[in-house]
Amino acid sequence: MNLRIPLAFLPENKQATVVEVVGGRGLVRRLYELGFTPRTKVRVVSSSSPGPVLVDIRGARVALGRGVTMKIIVNPE
Amino acid sequence: MIKVALIGNPNVGKSLIFNNLTGGKAHVGNWPGKTVEKKVGKCVYKGVEIEIVDLPGTYSLTANSIDELIARDYIVKEKPDVVVDIVDASNLERNLYLTLQLLELEANVVIALNKFDVAEDLGYEINVSELSKLLGVPVVPTVATTQGGMEKLKETVARAAKEKSRRRIIEISYGKKIDELIAKIERILQKDENLTKIYPARWLAIKVLEADDEVLKIIEKSPCVQEIVNLLPEM
Amino acid sequence: MSEKIKELLGEEAEVLLAEKRYEVISRILPKVLKGKKPLTRSDLLDKAFLNKYLGIPVFLALWWALFRFTFDVSAPLSDLIDMVFGRLGEIASMSIQNEQLASFVADGLIGGLGSVLVFIPPIFFLFFGLAILEDSGYLARAAFVVDRVMYKLGLHGKSFIPMLLGFGCNIPGIMATRTIDKEEDRILTILVNPLMSCSARLPVYVFIGGAVLGGYAAAGVYSMYILGIVLAVLMALLFRRIIPYFKGKPSAFILELPMYAMPTLRSTLAHMWERGVLFLKKAGTIILLATVVIWALSAYPWGAVHSGDEPLIEASYVGFLGHAIEPIFRPLGFDWRATVALFFGFVAKEIVVDTFGVLGLGGAEELQQVFNPVTGLAFMAFTLIYIPCLATIGVIYRETNSWKWTVFTVVYGVVLAYFVAFLIVGIGGMLGY
Repeated sequence: MNLRIPLAFLPENKQATVVEVVGGRGLVRRLYELGFTPRTKVRVVSSSSPGPVLVDIRGARVALGRGVTMKIIVNPE
Repeated sequence: MIKVALIGNPNVGKSLIFNNLTGGKAHVGNWPGKTVEKKVGKCVYKGVEIEIVDLPGTYSLTANSIDELIARDYIVKEKPDVVVDIVDASNLERNLYLTLQLLELEANVVIALNKFDVAEDLGYEINVSELSKLLGVPVVPTVATTQGGMEKLKETVARAAKEKSRRRIIEISYGKKIDELIAKIERILQKDENLTKIYPARWLAIKVLEADDEVLKIIEKSPCVQEIVNLLPEM
Repeated sequence: MSEKIKELLGEEAEVLLAEKRYEVISRILPKVLKGKKPLTRSDLLDKAFLNKYLGIPVFLALWWALFRFTFDVSAPLSDLIDMVFGRLGEIASMSIQNEQLASFVADGLIGGLGSVLVFIPPIFFLFFGLAILEDSGYLARAAFVVDRVMYKLGLHGKSFIPMLLGFGCNIPGIMATRTIDKEEDRILTILVNPLMSCSARLPVYVFIGGAVLGGYAAAGVYSMYILGIVLAVLMALLFRRIIPYFKGKPSAFILELPMYAMPTLRSTLAHMWERGVLFLKKAGTIILLATVVIWALSAYPWGAVHSGDEPLIEASYVGFLGHAIEPIFRPLGFDWRATVALFFGFVAKEIVVDTFGVLGLGGAEELQQVFNPVTGLAFMAFTLIYIPCLATIGVIYRETNSWKWTVFTVVYGVVLAYFVAFLIVGIGGMLGY
């Protein structure tokens, strides 16, 4: 399945693969450094729409604001 | 005297290790010209004095924030004899990213594998000697909360300090095309001795490709800037 | 050149380099790490603590517990220190022959030392409680929980911990803003941090409120904390709107949450000690020095002040000063002594209480002659809002590296304090006080 949705729309407990990160250079760079590189698996641990989202990325727990999760494009499994 | 810098991601227990090593006695000041706090402490191992500088907690060594810049400038310019990289054993994947960057910076790294007890509680089995072999640097398991592994860490630091401080241990391959570009830029940069005296050439080359603002500023002042610009169409 | 490189390579090289580094790590990991399991327990806790509906109530409950703990445990200790130093002062003034020296040692030195030391219990207990929350991994989660609210208020989720620390002391609060990446967000958080009612202001509320608010004293004291929070929010929103530098939205919220852990006594104490000592060093020395200066200004000219049986403060330099600036504060109903107290309070707010003592207004009856309930409340609000203390100003300058923002903080504080106090007096007047 080749669906592309923002991470913000991924429901709790669901896993997806990172397709790309869009946005300003500083933000993109920070997300790459935290491991949000293409083809990486990401899982939503807790989502408090419209608040921030907690994800599992490379075994670490990273909290992302709503705005940020709109900029991470993923392919849900 | 051995000069040691402590570095690590946030939340790895760095300040506790600093306290363990220095006995809590620290000189607190500011980084020159910056508003960020600088902590310096001392300890003695077998009659050798060790000066320990606490670098700001950071995930990376890009020019993203003041903290990252301070950490990287200190390692590059002050050239500490040993850089102790505190790695969270329960969060290896994320933490090793900084480790790789330190190795690219050609720092003399010793890894303190902290929160080793937490990792064990989680059921992780970490092959310490294999990790040390693969990265090419000493690895010491530590438990900062109970002072575990501190003597071993001091001993390892003292031993590592005897090695040459700047050395290339591993070279990360970035794929054929990028590797070639890095090599080309590196060769050009090597002509400028004023630069390579301070910065590792390969590291500079990588940072040029990353379009690192601070590094680009430095290179713009170098006489070899034109040659690098001439390379640009190849990119 | 940098523009060219950025144009040519864009993010491509950057993403590739980051990807390759993580690739290297992925090759190393399976060889060194076995038995990695999903963090079920941690994730379950997160589902509860970060829950959309439960998150905020849980946070408020923990916060309330923290404050109760801090104040309940520390109050008797502070009282004890206060008493001991009061006794020491009496002993010193009786046993030293030379009048000027006795006054200097008793009122200046011992009084100054005492006013620093009474802060140790609340500050250290607050930092102890915060260290437990921090080491357990909860504090970072609190930033997650409040991010949604903070964002609406024009602040960053990470602004939250500095604000919380501000209730203990604005100095560690302002220093904690370093974790905020974007300069604009950080400076905005620094600017409103002094409105968080630090523990140095509490003695003033208790002192004035206890004397003039009668049965409403406790409510008056609590209302100051709420007023501070409300003003901080309003100011943050206002600055975002009217100051071009802050235009736009708070920067992206990205925060790695540490794993939950059982806090250990050693690391909790180490954390507490680190922050507490910072406060003592930064604030303690300044407060001590200032108390000595105040003593000198209120004891000299010696002859004029000590002509009668009781010292006549009105004849001192302090009295002179108070009378000179009093007209400015007359619309708020503050007399020359209240003015003097505010003037010295700029050094450190709790000196306001000491100053009233020095000026012969140490008791409730005397205070009631100066304040009615409305002007008393206005005075409390003024104390909350105007100029952060001298040590905080120093830290604001160091952390913003700009005189412009430092002066701005001082000026807006005074203007806002005057405005709010005037409002209180005005509304009180309409209600018949």
